[in-house]
Amino acid sequence: MNENEKQMTEAESLSIISGMINHARNRFSETGHLYLLWGVVIFVCCITQFIMLYFFKNQNAYYVWYATWVVVIYQFYYLARRKKRQRVKTYPDEIIGFVWFTFVICSFILVYILIKNNSVNAINACILVMYGMPTFLSGIILRFKPLRIGGIICWLIAISAMFTTYQYQLLLLALAVIAAWIIPGYLLRAKFKKEN
Amino acid sequence: MEFKELDPILHAPLRLAVISLLLSVKEAEFTFIKEKTNSTAGNLSVQISKLKEAGYIEVTKQFKDNYPLTICKITPKGVDAFENYVKALQSYMHPNS
Repeated sequence: MNENEKQMTEAESLSIISGMINHARNRFSETGHLYLLWGVVIFVCCITQFIMLYFFKNQNAYYVWYATWVVVIYQFYYLARRKKRQRVKTYPDEIIGFVWFTFVICSFILVYILIKNNSVNAINACILVMYGMPTFLSGIILRFKPLRIGGIICWLIAISAMFTTYQYQLLLLALAVIAAWIIPGYLLRAKFKKEN
Repeated sequence: MEFKELDPILHAPLRLAVISLLLSVKEAEFTFIKEKTNSTAGNLSVQISKLKEAGYIEVTKQFKDNYPLTICKITPKGVDAFENYVKALQSYMHPNS
């Protein structure tokens, strides 16, 4: 009898099914690269702006944030390259993509509304509230605790940001970036290397 | 006691492996399925054609960097067939339930 058409026992069938489902389930595709990249860039921007404001009283220090556009361009390139190399699309990958897409759109609209209403002081706190959402949800979808903790820390820092001035909010933002991007980014990278 | 008939399309090791793998992902390339099922390209190709003929999977052919690329995706009919197959298996394993 052809090997492909041979009769299987019920146990053999179940073993094939569970083996294949495990293959797909245990595939960890998040390298943490973008978390680390954004983490370091935002951290550097926060600290640079703070130093320029605090020590040099430079009111044009916000220009430092234009550096993020370079990262946005790189991100498009990186994601296109990753998509090209990807041999399998999983539902978690797709859902996480949409979660972050939602965050970016909502954040842009929110920042626009806040600027229009002269509520610049609330921008950092609102961004942190928003940022906690995709971080926490990514942690749930990827079953990765550091991201869930990072999301919660963002929300706590967002509340404390309401009691400080814009200048010191930059330091809180830097702290949130360490908790929600840099530490989980390193841990994700380590997990990816271990499992792939 | 009633034994449900096992779907002959799914009751074959490699085809069952392919369907089980595709059930867990949105879509997968031929090379990924080949690697995970530990099969040869020729054999896998034949089994994928059978699953496609039965309407259990969708096969899309594309080109990536001038190389042919085959992408497979399970269809709703394939999901139903798999569920029925598992139910039939259960009836064999727990005949009194």
